[in-house]
Amino acid sequence: MAFAPMGPEASFFEVLEQHRASLLAALRTGREESPRGGTRSISNSEVLASIENIIQDIITSLARNEAPVFTIENRSRWENMKFEDSVGLQMVSHCTTRKVKSDSPKSAQNFALILKILSMIYKLVQSDTYATKRDIYYTDCQLFGNQTVVDNIINDISCMLKVPRRSLHILSTSKGLIAGNLSYLEEDGTRVSCAGCSTAVAVPSNIQGLRNLITDAKFLLIVEKDATFQRLLDDNFCSKMSPCIMVTGKGVPDLNTRLFVKKLWELFHIPLFTLVDADPHGIEIMCIYKYGSMSMSFEAHNLTVPAIRWLGLLPSDIKRLNIPKNTLIPLTNRDQMKLDSILKRPYVAGQPFWRKEMEIMADTKMKAEIQALTYIASDYLSRVYLPNKLKFGGWI
Amino acid sequence: LAALDELELSLLLPASDGGDGYGQIQPMLPGLSAKLMWTSEEASCPLDMSGRSPFQIIVEVDEKPGTLMTDCLAIKNFLRKVIIVHPKIGFHFNVKVNGTLSTETFRVENEPIFNLPNGMALIVNDQLYVSRPEFGPTGFLGSRIHPVPGEPVTLSIPDDVADLSLLGELILTPVAALCPCPKAFSKQTKRISSLSIFLYGPSGLPLILPSQQQPATVFTDISCFIDWKKYHLYVASNLDFNLDRDTVLPDMSYQVESLERHLSQNTDPQGQTLLLFLFVDFHSGFPVQHMELWGAHTFLTAHLSAILRESHVVRDSVQMAVDQALEQHHQAAKAHQKLQAAHAVAVESILNVVIGSTSNSFRKMCLQALQAADTRELGTKLQRAFNELTQHRFLHPCSCEVKQLPPEESAVAQSREDTLGSRSPECLADPAPERRGMQKPKLVCNLSLNLRALELPDEKDNGGQGEIKRRRRCVEETQAAQGSSGRKAGAEQRREPPLDSANPGSGQEDALWLQEVANLSEWLSAGP
Repeated sequence: MAFAPMGPEASFFEVLEQHRASLLAALRTGREESPRGGTRSISNSEVLASIENIIQDIITSLARNEAPVFTIENRSRWENMKFEDSVGLQMVSHCTTRKVKSDSPKSAQNFALILKILSMIYKLVQSDTYATKRDIYYTDCQLFGNQTVVDNIINDISCMLKVPRRSLHILSTSKGLIAGNLSYLEEDGTRVSCAGCSTAVAVPSNIQGLRNLITDAKFLLIVEKDATFQRLLDDNFCSKMSPCIMVTGKGVPDLNTRLFVKKLWELFHIPLFTLVDADPHGIEIMCIYKYGSMSMSFEAHNLTVPAIRWLGLLPSDIKRLNIPKNTLIPLTNRDQMKLDSILKRPYVAGQPFWRKEMEIMADTKMKAEIQALTYIASDYLSRVYLPNKLKFGGWI
Repeated sequence: LAALDELELSLLLPASDGGDGYGQIQPMLPGLSAKLMWTSEEASCPLDMSGRSPFQIIVEVDEKPGTLMTDCLAIKNFLRKVIIVHPKIGFHFNVKVNGTLSTETFRVENEPIFNLPNGMALIVNDQLYVSRPEFGPTGFLGSRIHPVPGEPVTLSIPDDVADLSLLGELILTPVAALCPCPKAFSKQTKRISSLSIFLYGPSGLPLILPSQQQPATVFTDISCFIDWKKYHLYVASNLDFNLDRDTVLPDMSYQVESLERHLSQNTDPQGQTLLLFLFVDFHSGFPVQHMELWGAHTFLTAHLSAILRESHVVRDSVQMAVDQALEQHHQAAKAHQKLQAAHAVAVESILNVVIGSTSNSFRKMCLQALQAADTRELGTKLQRAFNELTQHRFLHPCSCEVKQLPPEESAVAQSREDTLGSRSPECLADPAPERRGMQKPKLVCNLSLNLRALELPDEKDNGGQGEIKRRRRCVEETQAAQGSSGRKAGAEQRREPPLDSANPGSGQEDALWLQEVANLSEWLSAGP
């Protein structure tokens, strides 16, 4: 790196280095194997052929006087999920499906919208142009109703065709941010450096097109919330802990942020940590980075990073750091339900320390935000909490 | 030349009922010029193997062809009106003219019925209410209607018409339904084009008001119990009563137009018909005697209009039933519009891909599959194919389809056996005898009306009148147990379980239908 701010002494990273060595060793033995072989990147002509096949099937059905139907895999059912340590959540090969019928008042609209978006994708691929999900929504807001409808249909199409969204020439506007020791070349040749400035850089929208990624980072810190991310930037965390990279998905991460984290892991195999609120929602977000989400499980191989570790805020830290009770928030019924649901998930069985932390939360019936640490000191997070955790291996 | 040899109207009743209740059939047919003379053949005609018991009425008719034909049609319409609410009763109608015997059978078998809250049953096959030719060669009939009962209400009797001999209460149960079923007709659902009103008196016997050509006052301005304005509809009496039809003749018929269409004078005869059945039953605190029922029937025939006009609860109850029936229409119309809109988007999207494709084989295959010469024709054929799918779907909804019976068992099984020639009752209209100056002898003919109770495996009284009696008894017992009558009695009656065991799953089907309407509402309200 041309620009490398002074960070802690080399000895500071000893435990991190050991962790990295263990990750690499696990990779070699296959335990932390980088998941591959999921949805493959396919050529434009293959996408066009897939869409033509669908249209052909529909016309054939109509010619036979049969109502055309889309058969779409149920992406959001636990019975269709399987868990593998190396991949995270992924769809089973023979999962249950649902039919989107063209002759049912309940689903005809959805059937038509799928066709509408398929025809738009066909045009995008044919002309080798890209559009965002938002662009698609705005082509006919009244017809689509809301953005979620478009988002779901695009995911359904991606799942149905077994084609990553990028190959459908549909982009999503990135909401994630990056900061720290990283530079790369965008698809159009623009060189981007995420270091040396107090403001963050937006996660690029074309992750596949990134080239020449360079970093000396010893670790990557995924921050759940933008507010915490900005606070760490203000506290010059990246400089103090240099060399490192910080990423935030601003809550539930979008596809690009997840693709970006995945790309960094695959390229550099550096330790990845998450800093999330000590509440069920924070744990859920961390699980999405690490194990993936049900709705995108069909693309798990491109999105999950099982090597991610939980750095903080751990429910056990609340007691350990004597965080006063008045800064804690009681769990709501919804929180309780979410926590119960996470505890039942297949991947929790392989994470006894995570389970223990969640049980602490369930027992105390309290949750805490990262900001609760400011009660101790305004810069406690960046100056004490995180450095200590990183130096002494306080992750699980 | 029509020389009337014999006209038989025989009436078959279960032996247990004796048939005396039908002895006063004449007052129920005020338009009938013939003189009916009741002669029970119970003694001379013992029960046959099926448990049927024939009764015969000797009818004195004028052989004047026009009058005779009108009388025959009036009787036949009366019979149709009876069987749609008494599915266990059958009729044989025989006419012998110039040695030619014409026989018609009026009965329903294995037809789905709707159990009404007043204990009556209503046949729901829409072919009974609307004739097929009105809906073109493809037809949209073959479905069931979905009756919506209103709240049973006790009628107030105005002082000026009060009959002191009528010791009891009159309870009105309105029932509304759209015909054809909104779903079955959905492909062309646009509007409601007519309103038909059917009147029934105590025990579900047709209530035919005098002077059918001049509807009673309350029916002249139907808006006195249905608010049409809220539906932007305009209703005008339809005085064109065609007796010669295969469907049940309504007591009142109206043309319905949207206000806009009315103003534009642009009429479209093919729409849906709103059927409104008004059942008026008589209840007293004690077992009701036949004479009381006939008294109530006669009273209603004379004063129904005045009674209906009197009470605002009538309007509320009728409006509720109509509102619910029209809601079905509204929902089905919306569903159809959405389906059409969705298919238009689908067609456009398919065309965009086909037109945009650079693959010759793909384009060729698409065009060949639908036998289209070019993409324009492909678009037309795609649209047609989707339309056919819609039609297919709406013609075969699980809860609406009526099982089509073989002709001999059809809803109104009209088996005409023309013996000794091919003359049918219609030939009675032949004006030839008059034109030829022939003498018109006044004949006393045998008009035999066969009213028969159809066999029921689970009932020993063999249905028909016994069923009516049983229902009446049930109500009477309820009233006696309560020690009260009127509205309360009506309410209890509503909770009476369905009595008709001949109903092939109509309750379940109606539940399904209501569920579908609910789903439809949910879907429509969920937005795109």
